[in-house]
Amino acid sequence: MSNVDCLEFLVGAEKELRDVLAASEVAPLLHAAVTAGAHRALVQSGREVLWQWPEDPVVATESPTCLMKALPLWLEGEAVGEVCVEADMTHPAHDALTRMLAAALNTAMNANLKRMLTTEIHTQVVNQSYEELLAANRDLTASEARYRELAEHLEVRVQERTAELEQTWARLLRQEKMAAVGTLAAGMAHEINNPLGFILSNLNTLQKYVGRFVDMLEFFNHRIGACLSADLQDAARNKWRDLRMDYLTEDVAELLPQCISGAQRVKQIIADLRGFAHIDVAETAPVKIAEALARTLAVMKAEIPADARIEQRLVNLPELKGNGALLCQAFMNLIRNAVQARPEGLELTIRGERCADEVCLAFRDNGPGVAADLRSRIFEPFFTTREVGQGIGLGLTVVHEAARAFSGRVEVHDAPGVGAEFVMYLKAGEGGDG
Amino acid sequence: MIEFNPADNKMVLKLVYYGPALSGKTTNLLQLHELLAPEGRGDLMMLDTRDDRTIYFDLLPFFLTAPSGLRIKIKVYTVPGQVRHDSTRKAVLQRADGVAFIADSQLSETGNNVASFENLEKNLALVGLDIASIPLVIQFNKRDLPRVVSEADIDRTWRPTGIPIQMASAVAGAGVLETFSILAARTFMQLDERWRLERDHGLSQEDFLRQLSVRN
Ligand SMILES: Nc1nc2c(ncn2[C@@H]2O[C@H](COP(=O)(O)OP(=O)(O)OP(=O)(O)O)[C@@H](O)[C@H]2O)c(=O)[nH]1
Ligand SMILES: [Mg+2]
Repeated sequence: MSNVDCLEFLVGAEKELRDVLAASEVAPLLHAAVTAGAHRALVQSGREVLWQWPEDPVVATESPTCLMKALPLWLEGEAVGEVCVEADMTHPAHDALTRMLAAALNTAMNANLKRMLTTEIHTQVVNQSYEELLAANRDLTASEARYRELAEHLEVRVQERTAELEQTWARLLRQEKMAAVGTLAAGMAHEINNPLGFILSNLNTLQKYVGRFVDMLEFFNHRIGACLSADLQDAARNKWRDLRMDYLTEDVAELLPQCISGAQRVKQIIADLRGFAHIDVAETAPVKIAEALARTLAVMKAEIPADARIEQRLVNLPELKGNGALLCQAFMNLIRNAVQARPEGLELTIRGERCADEVCLAFRDNGPGVAADLRSRIFEPFFTTREVGQGIGLGLTVVHEAARAFSGRVEVHDAPGVGAEFVMYLKAGEGGDG
Repeated sequence: MIEFNPADNKMVLKLVYYGPALSGKTTNLLQLHELLAPEGRGDLMMLDTRDDRTIYFDLLPFFLTAPSGLRIKIKVYTVPGQVRHDSTRKAVLQRADGVAFIADSQLSETGNNVASFENLEKNLALVGLDIASIPLVIQFNKRDLPRVVSEADIDRTWRPTGIPIQMASAVAGAGVLETFSILAARTFMQLDERWRLERDHGLSQEDFLRQLSVRN
């Protein structure tokens, strides 16, 4: 083979005389020829003597009958060398001896060549088959790995789909819950409003009546009492004192206004609830952001600590199209999170402004903020940083959904200094799908 | 080409008889060996066979010398046709200078011929040879048998490819020398283009063919 770095056997690679004849095969034949009477016997390739007998030949005898006879050695049709016998060639046996020697060597060469070719091709084929097996094995391993990856991937896909389904399910549940709460609130508001109406108007009437009772009592006390007998006067004074009429008349003047203002507050709460749940509003009605925020803050009055400072800076906001109740719900969750993040000394700034075709609503608090590694997860349903049992989720999924319903999005940032800032970007102009 | 050693002034060529099992590849070589005189050729070397079916290969070597002294050895191989010996076919096909495809003319063998020819195409590509450019001849053997595909059909199928077609009945020695000559001639033409055998070595195509096919 001419290519040195190519170690593989090439079918047909050329052989030399030395490759197909071994000294151990040649030597006995040359030896035998000499024993049979030849003076010298040798095998040569070109000018090079490969083997000869005797090994150290004495100088040829000067005899006219002693001649060198040479016959070719054939390798694949090519004469690659010759066998030479130096003998008295007048002797016919010596000529025959030379032929026999050549025939024996040619036969050995052919047999050896055939054996070599067989071994070589066999080895080659075995190696090749082995390599093909290895390659097949590699392919199989690779494809197995691919399938395994696919299977693993499948698991991930299933998990993703499951999570999606869970979210959808949770959303449906929440929407159902909200709808149910809305219906309940509407029913309750109606039920409460009617008797509340009586109560309020009757209380007002009662207050007037009580005023008159008190006037009448005063009148008796000061004008008519003096005309009575001393006994009766004493009895009346005692009775007055026993019944603590002084305190009563004083107290009743405070009790009734308190009742009235309490009932009026109940009336307001119900009105706020109705507003918050958008019970009396058509679904297609435009949503006023400031109003929605005011309603939300109204229903949350009880849970917002007294020391909390909530600052609103709403500038030039357009009306939106969409589900107002959902937006109120989102506001409520954002405000509630702020309150829970900073139960004391909350400073919440709610900024609203229009930027291009978006409305940007930022809720910035002075709480501990949201850790960066949690930011991608806080919008998942039921995700919470609170202890188990302290309520489900941060309600941020609702915020996320509300933003989506208004063709927008929600982001969480670090507020400058401390705290978190949740920013809802809502599509202005054409409305959302909610 | 197995090797070309300018220093040694020796060129070693390889011709391969390819084809489906039992199509007569070994028979072709046997007949060549019979028909050609021993001058210039070596012995037919049939590596071990099993039930007369080639396992490794058969080899018939030729040897000639160009006027320039360039020694040219041409090794003619058969491959085993049985499907299972594909590794061997690939090994033998490496560095081939020309291919004779021996097809079995029997109608029942048409499918095997096609499969084997596709196998040749695939293996040539695997050993880095191009079926479109390698010297190729197709022999339709066993014309002596009944129920063989008609010459008209063969002509219709193969003429458009431009590959020379030779009818043969190898057992009887018919078409064997012709196939070999066509292959040798085509191979020579391609070698001559590349190595300028005639111009640089004084070896004409006729000389080449004559030396290769000295009849008994
Ligand atoms: N009738 C007929 N039989 C032939 C002809 N040529 C070959 N055969 C026979 O077909 C059989 C197979 O021939 P081979 O030469 O061994 O086939 P191969 O192509 O070498 O087969 P593999 O070595 O197995 O690939 C033998 O019995 C041959 O005698 C032919 O021209 N006519
Ligand atoms: Mg065979």
